[in-house]
Amino acid sequence: MTRNIILHIGDMHCPNCAMTLEQIEDTLQGVQQAEASYQKGRMRVVYDESALSEAEIRRAVEQLGYTVTAVLPG
Amino acid sequence: MIEIWLAFLTGLTTGGLSCLAVQGGLLASSLANQIESDLRQSTRTAGKRKTNPTPPAGQPRMAVPIGVFLLAKLLAYTALGFLLGLAGQTFQLSPLARAVFQVLIGVFMIGSALRMLNVHPIFRIFAIEPPAFIRRRLRRVAASGSASLATPAFLGVLTVLIPCGITQAMLAAALASGNPLTGAVLMFAFTLGTSPVFFAVAYFATRLGARLEKHFMRFAALVVLLLGLFAVDTGITLAGSPVSLTRLVNNAFPQTTAASDPAVLELQPYQPFSQQGNSPETDTAADEGTITIQVLNNGYAPNVVYAKAGTPLKMRLVSKGVYSCALAFVIPSLGVQEMLEPTGELWIDIPPQKKGARMPFSCSMGMYTGVVVFDS
Repeated sequence: MTRNIILHIGDMHCPNCAMTLEQIEDTLQGVQQAEASYQKGRMRVVYDESALSEAEIRRAVEQLGYTVTAVLPG
Repeated sequence: MIEIWLAFLTGLTTGGLSCLAVQGGLLASSLANQIESDLRQSTRTAGKRKTNPTPPAGQPRMAVPIGVFLLAKLLAYTALGFLLGLAGQTFQLSPLARAVFQVLIGVFMIGSALRMLNVHPIFRIFAIEPPAFIRRRLRRVAASGSASLATPAFLGVLTVLIPCGITQAMLAAALASGNPLTGAVLMFAFTLGTSPVFFAVAYFATRLGARLEKHFMRFAALVVLLLGLFAVDTGITLAGSPVSLTRLVNNAFPQTTAASDPAVLELQPYQPFSQQGNSPETDTAADEGTITIQVLNNGYAPNVVYAKAGTPLKMRLVSKGVYSCALAFVIPSLGVQEMLEPTGELWIDIPPQKKGARMPFSCSMGMYTGVVVFDS
């Protein structure tokens, strides 16, 4: 089942960070769409719940060097 | 000519580093394919032979995609400079519109600097974010795995979509030049200036250390902040404000050429243009009712002129081998906007002014200033 969440991201320094974060769309299996905004400091992720968990997304973001300050339903 | 050198030097110093901070990711992406394919090839070769063919850092093969990336970037920005110059020529901006434009650019740059310094998240509104579909396309192209030169070329061209703060300032200068050729040459010089830094960093290190990057970002932010304040100030000057930092500095260093001799400058009988000498060298002693101002590479001499009130005057601008923006002459209060030849002279009619009036003039960028004081 598809789920839509919004991650509030800390430590974004420039618009390039949005592109870095959106990499999970290609690297993390189960992510259907990832759209980050440096201006808003958050990222919307659409993913397949049967293939991926919220915690795994969170971990992937943290591995890229960012912090997740909150996760809200999208 | 001076602007072109300045653009090149700006690119070579702050521009190169600041652009690298913004566009370095694209360059790294375009190189990633090359690195990956080299690595794959070397692993395969190592399996066949019993040697270790791991290529040394800075191998010539890596230079090609970097070169292609930078060449594509250079061409793209030169074309953009041409188009902006053309746009500036088509929509000839009035001095006031230009002043407003300059102030807005200044505010944008100050906002960008405060954003870079992480003063408050609100300043993130000054960041230019490419739309999601462009970001996705960029990422896909970068990760497409093909080590062809099309990738660095494409990514090099796409750097125009993510200009850094200093590049944005340079693009604004290209627009303000109002000449496609000048715009193109300015952007060519600036982008060429940024290239060595890109090349060196990509070729030898590929990445700035995190610590160095942090310090560097602060330094770049301060440079952008200063340039922003300068842009606002010159905008105010261009709007004809008698009070601005640029005027203060210019007035602190008055031009002291022969032409500033009050005996020469104060009122002399006016003669029709046809009776006057045309050579700037022989005509320093102006006629009555004529104000002669030498246009120099670094401003105007004199930059404080005393003239008679209540009578029409002629202003004579003389240039000789000048290639700075001082050639673009503006009198905001009269709506005068003239472009001088590098060597030549230009006459401007000044209608009668009230006693005590001050009539500021400047170059079209608001950098070089002067004032006519109607005091008698």
